Amino acid sequence: MSQDIALYIHFPFCRRRCGYCSFVSYQGRESDIPQYVKALNKELLLRFADQRVSSIYFGGGTPSLLSPGQIHEILSVVHSHFAVDQASEVTLEANPGTVDEIYLTAIRKVGINRLSLGVQSLDDDELALLGRIHTAAEARDAVQFARNARFTNLSLDFIYGLSNQTLASWGKTLDEAIGLNPEHISLYPLTLEDDAPMRLAIQRGEMPPLDPDLTADQYELAQDTLAAHGYSHYEISNWARDGYKCKHNLVYWHNLPYLGAGVAAHSYIDGHRLANTTDLDSYLNAFSDNLPPAWELDEEISPELHLSETVILGLRLSEGIGLEDINRRFGIDLLRHYEQQVGETASLGLLECSGQRIRLTRRGRLLGNEVFWRFLPG
Amino acid sequence: MDQSIIRNFCIIAHIDHGKSTLADRLIELTGAMRRDEIREQVMDSMELERERGITIKAKAIRLDYKANDGKTYRLNLIDTPGHVDFSYEVSRTLAACEGAVLVIDASQGIQAQTLANVYLAMEHNLEIIPVLNKIDLPTAETDRVIDEIESVLGYGPESVMLISAKTGLGVPQLLEKIVQRIPPPRGNADAPLRALIFDSHYDSYKGVIAYLRVIDGQISKGGKLRLISQGTELEVLEVGYFAPEPYPVQTLSAGDVGYIATGLKNVAECHVGDTVTSISNGAQAPLHGYRPAKPMVFAGIYPTEADDYQELRAAIDKLSLNDASLSYEPESSPLLGHGFRCGFLGLLHLDIVRERLEREFFLSLVVTAPGVSFIVTKTNGQTVTMVNPSDLPLLNEIEKVEEPWVSISIITPSKFIGPLMELIMGCGGVHKRTEYLGHSRTPGELGQRVQLEYDMPLRSMLTTFYDQLKSRSQGYASMDYEFVGYREAKLVKLDVLVNGVLVDAFSRIIPPEKAHDIGEAIVSKLKEEIPRQLFQVPLQAAVGSRIVARANIPAKRKDVLAKCYGGDITRKRKLLEKQKEGKKKMKSIGKVEVPKEAFMSVLKLNW
Repeated sequence: MSQDIALYIHFPFCRRRCGYCSFVSYQGRESDIPQYVKALNKELLLRFADQRVSSIYFGGGTPSLLSPGQIHEILSVVHSHFAVDQASEVTLEANPGTVDEIYLTAIRKVGINRLSLGVQSLDDDELALLGRIHTAAEARDAVQFARNARFTNLSLDFIYGLSNQTLASWGKTLDEAIGLNPEHISLYPLTLEDDAPMRLAIQRGEMPPLDPDLTADQYELAQDTLAAHGYSHYEISNWARDGYKCKHNLVYWHNLPYLGAGVAAHSYIDGHRLANTTDLDSYLNAFSDNLPPAWELDEEISPELHLSETVILGLRLSEGIGLEDINRRFGIDLLRHYEQQVGETASLGLLECSGQRIRLTRRGRLLGNEVFWRFLPG
Repeated sequence: MDQSIIRNFCIIAHIDHGKSTLADRLIELTGAMRRDEIREQVMDSMELERERGITIKAKAIRLDYKANDGKTYRLNLIDTPGHVDFSYEVSRTLAACEGAVLVIDASQGIQAQTLANVYLAMEHNLEIIPVLNKIDLPTAETDRVIDEIESVLGYGPESVMLISAKTGLGVPQLLEKIVQRIPPPRGNADAPLRALIFDSHYDSYKGVIAYLRVIDGQISKGGKLRLISQGTELEVLEVGYFAPEPYPVQTLSAGDVGYIATGLKNVAECHVGDTVTSISNGAQAPLHGYRPAKPMVFAGIYPTEADDYQELRAAIDKLSLNDASLSYEPESSPLLGHGFRCGFLGLLHLDIVRERLEREFFLSLVVTAPGVSFIVTKTNGQTVTMVNPSDLPLLNEIEKVEEPWVSISIITPSKFIGPLMELIMGCGGVHKRTEYLGHSRTPGELGQRVQLEYDMPLRSMLTTFYDQLKSRSQGYASMDYEFVGYREAKLVKLDVLVNGVLVDAFSRIIPPEKAHDIGEAIVSKLKEEIPRQLFQVPLQAAVGSRIVARANIPAKRKDVLAKCYGGDITRKRKLLEKQKEGKKKMKSIGKVEVPKEAFMSVLKLNW
């Protein structure tokens, strides 16, 4: 029986790795892109079948390193193999330093209808600090190119909480971002995983440490500023104008099934969370003999864990979780099942319960982990 | 046995001056062991002793030595503990000897323990043979140190032996000197038995093994004996000597040194210093100077995991079988759970016990800040001895508090007198005497060597005193101390409150004028170590109801996984699981979750 799924395609190539990023991506391997596209197409054919696709998302890495022809090739395989909804959202993440109007026009033509631009900052010093390959001017140009190419669903990513940022400089960035008039905005505090080069630089004292209180102030400022400009804050780090929430990502937060293809891509299907190898060479070689590679991760999600993840992910959304929805999906009374957790987090001022829904409070959005871990099983 | 061929002696020295190496050479040269049989430093049998370069348990070895006069002498070499914490054991060892080899490092010269040991040896009327060791080293200052020995100890250059224990240089001559100079024992083999216990250890097969020196009479296998001071009765299961392996014999006679196996279950029944005699027709009066070891330094020892309490109990029980000076009482703390308040001879003794518990019993421990025992006289006339700061009565119930004082002796080059005096005065030291040692013609840039004598509260020695002594003197100063009695003290209890909750394990007894500084130090350490909570956490240090230091840990504002998409869910969940696990490991003080590291860092905070 066919089911609705979201399709994620990972593209693990970058012209240059950024100092803050821990996603799986390779620098200096761009000559392998044609072979990677072949492997991707094979994986789509070998692994999956018979699902109905409601959204497609090219993430990376830097998927805008794909040529329009390669994107077309991949989308053709998808269309030949899956039932793709007419109204599907098809997103491509793009680095402003890699696109021009001709390119954007071409990918619009082959089926990309939503563009997510990794602007990150509109300050050249900050961009240099982050190790981005583009300037603020190039980012502004990229937005204009996208509009010229008739993209009507445009998302911009920004990073705050940088060690040399102030509340004022962040306010200016926000104003300028709003001035670019995107339909969707994602704002991420700079978060450095253990292996991020920037974290090591801070540990060596080459960069000032991050300031969590300033970051919190910047987040509060963003919430107020974006609300005043008609953006609705629909997920912890995401804002959208009416009708422009990211459909693809909502699938994750609703804890619904998705398929992932490509290096390090994750799938969640039939109660299993699955992941491909994170090693590019293993991935490329695996498909040379027409067999799908073994999963690097195959985790069976127990009913209790499924419920727990559904709550944790759902609480990321500003609308929170509907008690009826949970009752329909799991046959339980959420308030009774999690009586202690709900009581504790509500008394801490992190969670609120009204209109048959539970959701994070404004304070809770900045302290989500203190809510989330309490809902873990065991 | 002809006592005229017996020589009972020990080697005394400041730490690291080469005592154990010299013992190895004597063993080798008298043929008791070949050089290749001698593991380095035979007499230091515990691993820990080797690592720390000190000897904790005295042992005696019998060496047969054929002297130049053609006669074979029986040399009983009795090893002494080399640290001030064990000065009582040292004095018992000296009481078992007629002579002492005094080893002085040719580079370092006379040090504090050199002097302390010499004085002890003199008190026991021992014949002292001064020996300059390590003369082969390029850093040796043989002339200067010979000079120093003459002016400080009064031994002329002609009576100082020059040796290298490492290479064996001069050691044959030393053996001759031992035979010639140290007098033979002069006990009466026909008098009632009197033997001095100078060491003991527990053996799981034979019970307590007591090392003893027979002064009068004799001990035979099967003999029924009694300890005069303690009253313990025992039967001799085995009698013998070490050479260095144990050799059972039928009898030990007046003048002899050896061991008896007692079958006793605990060394506490067979205290060092007690006198052994026969049950029937025994001696009435003990030999001089018996006193049970008295712990001076106290600390709480708790298992890190509450579940390990029974294991800790078993381990301490077992250790104490062999360590009569270790005292322990169960105690419990709301925060640390169940543990023991232990008493030690000194800081080194504490360290040794802690390391043995961790190393031999694989325990992970929380050890509270070491303190002393206080004698508190209450306003109602009652007198109590307390070893745990949290037991101090309320201020208005206290008539007076007395604390133990020590007399310290420090030897230092004169260059460092200023900084050292400042240190000692800061610790409440009271000056007694300053004496210049020797009149070196070439004092060098560090100046003459000086002996400083002060009285000081033992409490002040338990923190960074020794480290400071070393750092302020660039490592040159050496120290010795002895207990001189209790003196009245002006002291208060400093409490620490986390979010308004008193944390008993952090309480300390301190002089009131230091309350602010110590309070500040504890509070700022806690602020640094306790992670921010969901609410503001006030930290306070208080004396009674008076707050002497305070700080706030601001509420945590941001703790959220900002990015969570399809590729991340499992990984992000694992981060949350880690966070949850971390919470479980924390100790709660009221509503505040405190990581163990924060505890440890405050307990270790030295003031």
